[in-house]
Amino acid sequence: MKELRDLARQLLTDGTVDVVVGWEDSPRGARPIFAATPDDADKLIFDTRCLHNLATYLNPRRKQVTDLGKLALVVKGCDAKAVAGLLREAQLDRDRVVLIGVRCGGVCEDSMASEPVELTPETIAPRCFGCDNREPHLVDHLVGDPLPEPPAPLLTLDERVAALDALTPEERWEYWTAQFDKCVRCYACRQVCPMCVCERCVADKSRPQWIETASHPRGNFSWNVTRALHLAGRCVGCGECERFCPAGIPLATLNRKLQLVVEERYAYRVADDPEVTAPIGDFRLDDQQEFIK
Amino acid sequence: MSGTSETRAGATAGGDFEPRITAFACNWCTYTGADLAGTSRLHMASNVRIIRLPCTGRIDPLFVIKAFERGADGVIVSGCHPADCHYTAGNYHARRRFAVFHDLMGFVGVDPGRITFSWVSASEGAKWRNVVDEAVSKVRELGPFTAYRGLIDHNVSADHFEGLLTAVRADPAGSEAGQTEAAQVGAAVVTDDGDPS
Amino acid sequence: MSRIGIFVCHCGENIARTVDVAAVAEALRDHPGVAWSEDYKYMCSDPGQSLVRKAIEEHELTGVVVAACSPHMHEKTFRRACAAAGLNPFMCEMANIREHCSWIHEDRDEATAKAIDIARTIVEKVKHNRPLESIRIPVTKRALVVGGGIAGIQAALDIADGGHEVVLVEKEASIGGHMSQLSETFPTLDCSQCILTPRMVEAYQHPNIKLHTWSEVESVDGYIGNFTVKVRKKARSVDEDLCNGCGDCQAACPAKKIPSEFEAGLGTRTAIYVPFPQAVPNIPVLDRQNCTLFKGRRKGLAKDACGKCKEACLRGAVDYDTEDTFVEEQVGAIVVATGYGLYSIGREQPEGLKGYGEYGYGEVPDVIDGLQFERLASASGPTAGAILRPSDGKEPKTVVFVHCVGSRDPEKGMSYCSKICCMYNAKHAMLYKHKVHDGRAVAFYMDVRAAGKGYDEFSRRAIEEDEAEYIRGRVSRIFREGDKVKVWGFDTLSGEQVVIDADMVVLATAMRPQAGAKELAQKLNVSYDEHGFINEAHPKLRPVETNTAGVFVAGACQAPRDIPDSVAMASATAAKVMSLFSADELEREPAVAVVNETTCIGCMSCEHVCPYGAVEVKEIRGRDGALQRTVASVNPGVCQGCGTCQAVCLSKSIELETFTDEQVYAEINALAAWD
Repeated sequence: MKELRDLARQLLTDGTVDVVVGWEDSPRGARPIFAATPDDADKLIFDTRCLHNLATYLNPRRKQVTDLGKLALVVKGCDAKAVAGLLREAQLDRDRVVLIGVRCGGVCEDSMASEPVELTPETIAPRCFGCDNREPHLVDHLVGDPLPEPPAPLLTLDERVAALDALTPEERWEYWTAQFDKCVRCYACRQVCPMCVCERCVADKSRPQWIETASHPRGNFSWNVTRALHLAGRCVGCGECERFCPAGIPLATLNRKLQLVVEERYAYRVADDPEVTAPIGDFRLDDQQEFIK
Repeated sequence: MSGTSETRAGATAGGDFEPRITAFACNWCTYTGADLAGTSRLHMASNVRIIRLPCTGRIDPLFVIKAFERGADGVIVSGCHPADCHYTAGNYHARRRFAVFHDLMGFVGVDPGRITFSWVSASEGAKWRNVVDEAVSKVRELGPFTAYRGLIDHNVSADHFEGLLTAVRADPAGSEAGQTEAAQVGAAVVTDDGDPS
Repeated sequence: MSRIGIFVCHCGENIARTVDVAAVAEALRDHPGVAWSEDYKYMCSDPGQSLVRKAIEEHELTGVVVAACSPHMHEKTFRRACAAAGLNPFMCEMANIREHCSWIHEDRDEATAKAIDIARTIVEKVKHNRPLESIRIPVTKRALVVGGGIAGIQAALDIADGGHEVVLVEKEASIGGHMSQLSETFPTLDCSQCILTPRMVEAYQHPNIKLHTWSEVESVDGYIGNFTVKVRKKARSVDEDLCNGCGDCQAACPAKKIPSEFEAGLGTRTAIYVPFPQAVPNIPVLDRQNCTLFKGRRKGLAKDACGKCKEACLRGAVDYDTEDTFVEEQVGAIVVATGYGLYSIGREQPEGLKGYGEYGYGEVPDVIDGLQFERLASASGPTAGAILRPSDGKEPKTVVFVHCVGSRDPEKGMSYCSKICCMYNAKHAMLYKHKVHDGRAVAFYMDVRAAGKGYDEFSRRAIEEDEAEYIRGRVSRIFREGDKVKVWGFDTLSGEQVVIDADMVVLATAMRPQAGAKELAQKLNVSYDEHGFINEAHPKLRPVETNTAGVFVAGACQAPRDIPDSVAMASATAAKVMSLFSADELEREPAVAVVNETTCIGCMSCEHVCPYGAVEVKEIRGRDGALQRTVASVNPGVCQGCGTCQAVCLSKSIELETFTDEQVYAEINALAAWD
């Protein structure tokens, strides 16, 4: 969109930033671009194929990115929440990044389509349903026209969670162990997640080795459950983990469950405001404890 | 390394199942409460082994997972009552952490009866005895947790669940009726061949 | 390579009766890493400890496990023994096979198998123990005493006489506590105020004691040797430096009928008042709830409705515009001496208590409690020492004393015995008879508990010399009939019902902790039992310490107690405090958290959860001075070793010494089912 390209060109030519990170069109659909020149800035797009959470590039461990200097980052609402999370956890200097927010009407699940995909119940990404941040707040600039509400998907994440909740514990055990059986411990979920920024992940700690590294279901259970726990109250619901998982494990549903738990128990929804304290690491004197004898 | 195998909790000579329970107890309240139960000679089931921690704040869900991996059939996590933590706030943090862990365990199908959470103070020897006896009785009912440690050999293909997981909403507008027609989870993204799209 | 010695204690028969200790030692003998294994009758004894020292030297042990009682009992004992033999004391741990095993199980096979498991678990833990050095922290040699009753005063005087500054905080307007309300004390019948007031004055005038009356503890931060206490000095409305105690303000006050707390409701006071004439300090407070001027201000009156006390004060000490102020005190030790209250005989009861409706819920004015009787008997009380009943001021000719109202009653009251009531009932019977020679004193008792020095003789005097009638049995009902108070009781020794037409009844109500004691305990971070009494560190051997290092307890706030025992306890706490202050530095267990600066990403979740503010931000700079990154860093002097930081750290970049991940993992692993 022109507004975005103009802004990006401006930021580059007046030296405000060294590189603008956004999306471009390509033979393989929409993909991230690190635009360092005005010509590159002209390639910036934003459409329903721009589903990647670019905030993952702000991980301070990504030296190739930090070496590029000052960044401008194009963020949708969910991406902005991730940036807020990084700020909240002191992983980012606010003045190192210029945030360009885009108004979003939802994304599809096929970034590789050759043209922008029309959003229908079949094509809309389930995680977009109910989005409360279609106009991101934590931004320096806001571009794009307001877009209509995304259509409801065939099944929302909440409906998937509810369907699992409706099973018996034995059925849920069968379901999840079968899912974890598929995991090959590629850690793609961890690699793409913008909130997974640890220098040395607990899964890689060998002394002691809390999480069995072999990709048998027992070790996979430990890994996936632990990652879900570590994301409780931090997951922004961008769905990238599930999109990337080569084994097709419904990670977005698993993380959504804990988002719902944290909402119900602690009235907490992840927002793109770094000043709000995360729920785990905080407490109230009257926190629920019905499960404790 | 089997010790006295006939007398180990796990398999008695009679063949009845005796649960193995690992308990994570905070030093100042529950551990001391358990001491008091001892001083008061309150007899209780012998299936529990206590691991002492300074505070429930120190207890990580990974301890519980590791305990199940290493053969526990049940776990107890116990500490000071809210407002009484020796370190003032450790149990408040534990409370939130374990609320989330408890819900997640339930969601992935671990019976909540296998994990007991309790507040037992230093003067509640009798309560500790009750917590122990109830936990042992409950886990005995549930049976050995071989399903968990046996996951290492678990071999269930996703095919088995193809029927369980199909995208369905009779009414595309998303009505309640359409949803409950079959309580099934959509696999619009998740397909058997692992194609992420 | 570990060379661990394991010592299995018989503890006489305590362990050996149920656990086959030789089998435990045998089972551990071949455990990997165990270099020495033996069992012995009493490990904590001198010869037992010698075995440990000998084994350390002879077998070059790198770690020691004593399988015996709880570490709370003897961890220090064995660590000292190891240190004496040259082994770092933190390489020694205890396996609890007594409180957690032999004392709670009957089946010898089960108990022995469990003991082996427990011992093996601790052996595996010790393999990961590290030789640590104690941490030294400075000590502020000032003490805080909370509560200005006899126990608080005694503790303050002893510490002050020992050369250290004491801050004494009392929530009432004067120190003295309940002892100042008593008429005479058992077993000597000493005039209570006569023996108390010299102490009160001494405390007030002592150069080392800083007195805050009409004040409460607002918050406590810090830890032993280094507490920061915020004291709320409630608004007195009277300037303590200007007031000279002349009393003109009280004489001028028009609000004269306010029920006096000191007189236990039997007398009245003015709105601006000192609680009693011998009050220390002799500086009044203004009761803003009942003051005419303040009532008017609350109603929003344009002009103040009164001001007589201010007019009357020639020193200009009355100031209606004062507010609560806060004072911060730095202290190294705290003594809790907040005393007691009585089980209320009224209709309004605290949550969980039902009260005694069968005794009239306090609605019969001539049914009173022990403190009220003290005020009647007191020469400075509302009746100038004459025993006159509240309803009509007549001298009662028959007084019934009822023991155990609310005590020894798990169903409706407290399960415990209040200890002092048998004695003060005898005292009350005697005082009554001394003043009303032709009066009849009847006491309904369950047992007579008079165990102190001179106590039994004293209570016998009441019966044998002062002709008090002691009836063994309980009272089922007390009610008014005409101008009599009817008492229905039972005499278990004769087996007959007893009905007494009394003129007055005195109920010996249960002793309870003060209202607000629980909240104070939470502020101080000390534990308390289900009744609200402060928990001592050990009921037999550490009766004046709490489990919170640096906080000590004296007097009735810990359990029902009489004056000599409260005084003794207070002096004991003073000894503990002075022992704490005897060195400039305090040695602390090195159970502190340490950050792995290589893997820490500086998210500071640890800082957010640390209850003591022990975590700081640390900058890591390159040799060129450029900032590379920030990480967390723990101040070992402040860290108290809870480990909350470790559980919240997602990357496990912070470890708590003495409970490291390796140690915990080893314990969990040791319990693995090998089959």
